[in-house]
Amino acid sequence: MQKRSLQAIVVVMLLTFVKVSAQDDNINLQTSLIDSTLTKDANAVVRSEEIIIEINSISSVTVKTKRIVTVLNKYGRGFANSSEWYDPSTKIKKLEAIVYDASGKEIKKYRKKDFRDRSVYDGISLMNDDRVKYFEHTPIGYPYTLAFESEVEKSSTAFIQSWNPVLAYKLGIQKSFYKIRNPNVIPLRIKETNFENYTIEKNKTNQETSYLISNVPAILSEVRSPSYADMVPRVKVALSTFSLEGVNGAATDWRSFGKWQYDKLLTGRDQLPLETIEVVTELTARASTNKEKAKLIYEYVQNKTRYISVQLGIGGWMPFLASDVDRLGYGDCKALTNYTKALLETQGIPSYYTIVYAKERRDIDEEFASMQGNHAILNIPDGEEDIWLECTSQTTPFNFIGDFTDNRNVLVVTPEGGEIKRTKKYEPEENKLQTIAIVKLNADKSMVADIKRESEGLEYDWNYNIQYQEPKDQKLHYKEQWDYINNLEVNTIALKDDKDAIVFTEDLRVSCTSYMKKAGSRLLVTPNLFSRDQSNLPKYENRQTPLVISRGYVNTDEYIINIPQGYAINNLPEKKSIETEFGNYTYELEKVNESQILFKRFVKMIDGTFPKEKYEEYRQFKGKIKKIDQTKIVLKQL
Amino acid sequence: MKNLNKLMLLGVVLMISTTSLAQEYKFGKVSKEELLEKAYPKDSSANAAVLYEKRKVYFDYNQSFGFRIITEVHKRVKFYNQNGFDYASEQVFLYKIPAAEEKINSIKGITYNLIDGKIIETKLKKEGVFKNEHSENYNQLKFTMPSVKEGSVVEFRYKMESPFVHNIDKIYLQQDIPIKKIDVKVATPEYYNFKKFTTGYLPINLKESKDNGKMNYNVKARYKGAPQTSNTSFYTGGIDYKVNTYTISSSNIPAFKREPYSGNPDNYRSSIVFELEFEKFPNRPLKTYTSSWDAVAKSIFEHPRFGNELKKNGYYRQDVDQLLEGITDPMQKTILIYDFVKKKMVWNNWYSRLTAGGVKKAYKEGVGNVAEINIMLTSMLQYAGISAKPVLVSSTNKTISLFPTLEGFDYVIARVKVGDSIIYLDATDKYGEPNVLPNRVIHGSGRVIAENGTSQLINFRPNHLSRIHSSVLCEIDADGLIKGKQSTNRSSYLAHNFRVRHAAKKQEEQIERVTENYGVATLNEYELKGVNDIGKSISERFEFTVNDEVEVIDGEMFFSPLLFLKNEENIFKSNERKYPIDYGYGYSNSMMVSVKIPEGYEISEIPEGSAFKLPENMGSFVYRSSVMGNSIQVSITETLNTPFIPADYYPVLKQFYNQIIQKESDQVVLKKI
Repeated sequence: MQKRSLQAIVVVMLLTFVKVSAQDDNINLQTSLIDSTLTKDANAVVRSEEIIIEINSISSVTVKTKRIVTVLNKYGRGFANSSEWYDPSTKIKKLEAIVYDASGKEIKKYRKKDFRDRSVYDGISLMNDDRVKYFEHTPIGYPYTLAFESEVEKSSTAFIQSWNPVLAYKLGIQKSFYKIRNPNVIPLRIKETNFENYTIEKNKTNQETSYLISNVPAILSEVRSPSYADMVPRVKVALSTFSLEGVNGAATDWRSFGKWQYDKLLTGRDQLPLETIEVVTELTARASTNKEKAKLIYEYVQNKTRYISVQLGIGGWMPFLASDVDRLGYGDCKALTNYTKALLETQGIPSYYTIVYAKERRDIDEEFASMQGNHAILNIPDGEEDIWLECTSQTTPFNFIGDFTDNRNVLVVTPEGGEIKRTKKYEPEENKLQTIAIVKLNADKSMVADIKRESEGLEYDWNYNIQYQEPKDQKLHYKEQWDYINNLEVNTIALKDDKDAIVFTEDLRVSCTSYMKKAGSRLLVTPNLFSRDQSNLPKYENRQTPLVISRGYVNTDEYIINIPQGYAINNLPEKKSIETEFGNYTYELEKVNESQILFKRFVKMIDGTFPKEKYEEYRQFKGKIKKIDQTKIVLKQL
Repeated sequence: MKNLNKLMLLGVVLMISTTSLAQEYKFGKVSKEELLEKAYPKDSSANAAVLYEKRKVYFDYNQSFGFRIITEVHKRVKFYNQNGFDYASEQVFLYKIPAAEEKINSIKGITYNLIDGKIIETKLKKEGVFKNEHSENYNQLKFTMPSVKEGSVVEFRYKMESPFVHNIDKIYLQQDIPIKKIDVKVATPEYYNFKKFTTGYLPINLKESKDNGKMNYNVKARYKGAPQTSNTSFYTGGIDYKVNTYTISSSNIPAFKREPYSGNPDNYRSSIVFELEFEKFPNRPLKTYTSSWDAVAKSIFEHPRFGNELKKNGYYRQDVDQLLEGITDPMQKTILIYDFVKKKMVWNNWYSRLTAGGVKKAYKEGVGNVAEINIMLTSMLQYAGISAKPVLVSSTNKTISLFPTLEGFDYVIARVKVGDSIIYLDATDKYGEPNVLPNRVIHGSGRVIAENGTSQLINFRPNHLSRIHSSVLCEIDADGLIKGKQSTNRSSYLAHNFRVRHAAKKQEEQIERVTENYGVATLNEYELKGVNDIGKSISERFEFTVNDEVEVIDGEMFFSPLLFLKNEENIFKSNERKYPIDYGYGYSNSMMVSVKIPEGYEISEIPEGSAFKLPENMGSFVYRSSVMGNSIQVSITETLNTPFIPADYYPVLKQFYNQIIQKESDQVVLKKI
């Protein structure tokens, strides 16, 4: 990922830094005294943050947090701490909060006993052991200030809380301080990222490393920008010898880290009952290549299992036994990946458990070995190629990971150790959506069309799920997709999913009672019925961040439009083409004969990261496409 | 594959028609037919279906604990495809207080799969059952069935014990997946009298009968005789009592589908609620809970966290005296008090018909739940000599209660009578106005309750229309670019809605919002007035240019004179609907546009005037157009008078909006001279 330049911020910082470098712990809580550079665009200001991490031993870390946040409006409430998460390996030793009004007067105090306690629902798990102690504060006015203080001791040291001082958009930072205390000089590694555009004061001694950042103004989010984490400073810390839910580990690089993971969390969890091995052997007997066998095994897993997440203790990191998955028919990403791996192994196909950040694209940091990632997939080296399997889905085709885990650095765990690999990138040409249609227009303004849409690559990923919806919702989906056609009726839907070729085909018949507009004796028609760019990108006077087009694609459309009897085709507009570095676009209308028009559209978007100055060009490119897509033509009554 | 499915379906249908007559659902006896079934016969779109559900609720007597409620659940679920797998996990919340808690035991579960023509059973074991302390008052029990695949049938049963005899959990008779057969049996001893009420649009066949029950007890008696000697004797006794048994047995219950604009959809889902009406044990006085609205009123007014709270006035007396000094007009007093509470109090987002920490504490801290804030408001109004009453409300979070019950209410507001006018007030809503209530209230219903027990059902949907009026003055240049000014006025609920959604936004965000909404190319001189003058209308004005409204083709210009103001998308897309459409309030949307045409062009066509109506004066649409010199003027008025429309009118309503969209897209044609 490339470096970001946040020059404007640097300038402001240099101006204000001198003033605050002499720190004073007694922050004036009168909110009117906050520097206006910090409140501009901000929903809240971190007045002072102090995180002190004390490494007591490889199985004990104490984290002391003091955080004072002034909340400026209702959108800033979430930035003031009001909770502490914990699990069986975390002990909360101190917990309290004080609320101050705008003048700095204390109005409410929450002691440890005032905090409520509940389990945390992570959104997917059937069961986990995370809990939270929290209080609910209803502010009676803005601004107000909340001072939060906690001390927790963790026996799991595989994750050391990192420093992310510039936590979010629309948050001003007056001061944030972070210190690692390591009195026993336990070997540890520290990595600093995105420090370039910030002024950060660092102090390092044998037993302590500390960082201080001050007066960072709030930043605003921009569309199509790099991921937030790639732009703001961060300090990551990892112990070379650590403990994870009672399991000890040692690692200094990915190779040794992967080795530890393999030996301690994966080895010996792949036993399978004989009957299953027999079934799989028989299943794959006639397949000749490893790839064919792997496909059969993958489909076997898909038919046999379902995704159920249970994260308890070390079970958050160690997969269920393969034999348990075999018996129960469910598991989480770790368990299902490990199970598939075990099944492949029975047929002599080597495969590797792989750790990845799923969903929003994020790399496993190649230069810093530590507990990372939030998902597991399976890697099968196949000659020069890599096969990637998403084992939690019952519907994904073999060797198709889609945009969930594509094109990112992942940790492949082999018996010899860890290895960073990159998952498959889907090139624009692979992500094809082809729409052909035969349209019949009638003199009463109505329209009927037979449409065939074929999608491949990521376009497949973006479309194929429609088949799993109920018929009623499928109709709604198409009505919403083409919501610019009033009163669209979806008459028939036939969907075909070719999971071998990975092509999804939608055959549709749609109609509408009044597609055309009548203007006296003329009919107005928009020939682009089914592929109108509807996007509306904001204009920035002063864009701060580079333009990121995360995935490319190619869409082509070809419609034969039959015009109503008694009408003639007037002059058709000329062919329009736009070529840019972000992609190409052409729009073309051709008179086939007196009663038929051929509509052709081509758009190719190219993924990539472009300098911020290019954003406006991109916006105009999209704006032009949108306008051309709406082109109307006139049919004249004979 | 598809054809095969169809064939199978046919086979299954035939089989069912012969076997479904007397199917029994014994635990552990799942049939091959059930496993072979490829789709739910009555709804092929179902991903899963409940083949059978049995819910038995009864009271059990134990000498040391007294009565407890036992709920036995037996459920059989069929999975037609992977999207139904969510129903392979069950979750139960168990209520607890420090002294007592609900418990679950004897969980048994079996998954059935048909493999090579044989039924293979996989048992649910401990490893698939999880218990968790969810929060202070709830434990959570979850389990997930093993070996679930397409085609599987799972079956589970469990028993729940509750010491909270006053509360029988709501029983749902309809789910998001179809139910083939459901048997519900609720048996209550004669000592507890429960009222029943139901929701939903499906018929519920409730039968009542009487049975006998017995309470057994052991008595240990000890007689003291001479020193160091004693006699102990035991005897066993029993008391017979009557048991009221209610049964519901239904078949083929369709899946419940959610639709937009329905307030709280749970109002339309089939369910039955049992609420304790009174308790009468032999030789003990009758203890009433609820039975009639009188009794509801009595019990709420006697409740320490309602009636008593309403009576307290010491904590605010001084402030209110000061506030009302010299004021005699009751309307003025009302508004002063309402604004005072609204300003002083912040709602903590908790819904409740009862106070939590109490009004006094809430007043001191400036934070409270709904009951605290609005009981306080009502109390102050009463203290000031205004005729004010609390109104119990079923908010959108609650199912509307049609029968006398307290449980159906989760919210309180105030009702004031000044002269002939009735005013509803809710001080939890910072943007609220007299008779302009938040959505959570207007989509619900209420009941005003007087201390003497009289009560009356209230529909909060207002009779008056909320208005939005937009006017645009613009001109087109020779290239088809439009430049102009727009102003928009919103009143009543439309102003309220605007405030709720946009009042906190900064000027730049407002500009961004309007630019995006209307798709204008540039926007200048943006001005927003009245946002903070609650009770007044909001006006918004700006200057704009747009470059994509006019199509220039061969020396002719085409455009819709309503420009970006026109409706483009019908809010109603489904083809049918089973329950009412609830707008909350009626509205009138009027627009007036004046377009000056460019020099060198003349008007060749303009849209004709048009008008149409919804039946029974529920709504109307009027389109007028005219030419004044070189300007085209178009005005439209779209009115919806009835905020709550029965489902029967859905097709007409959908058509109404279609016609509006069509008419609003009518084109003007200009010709080069």
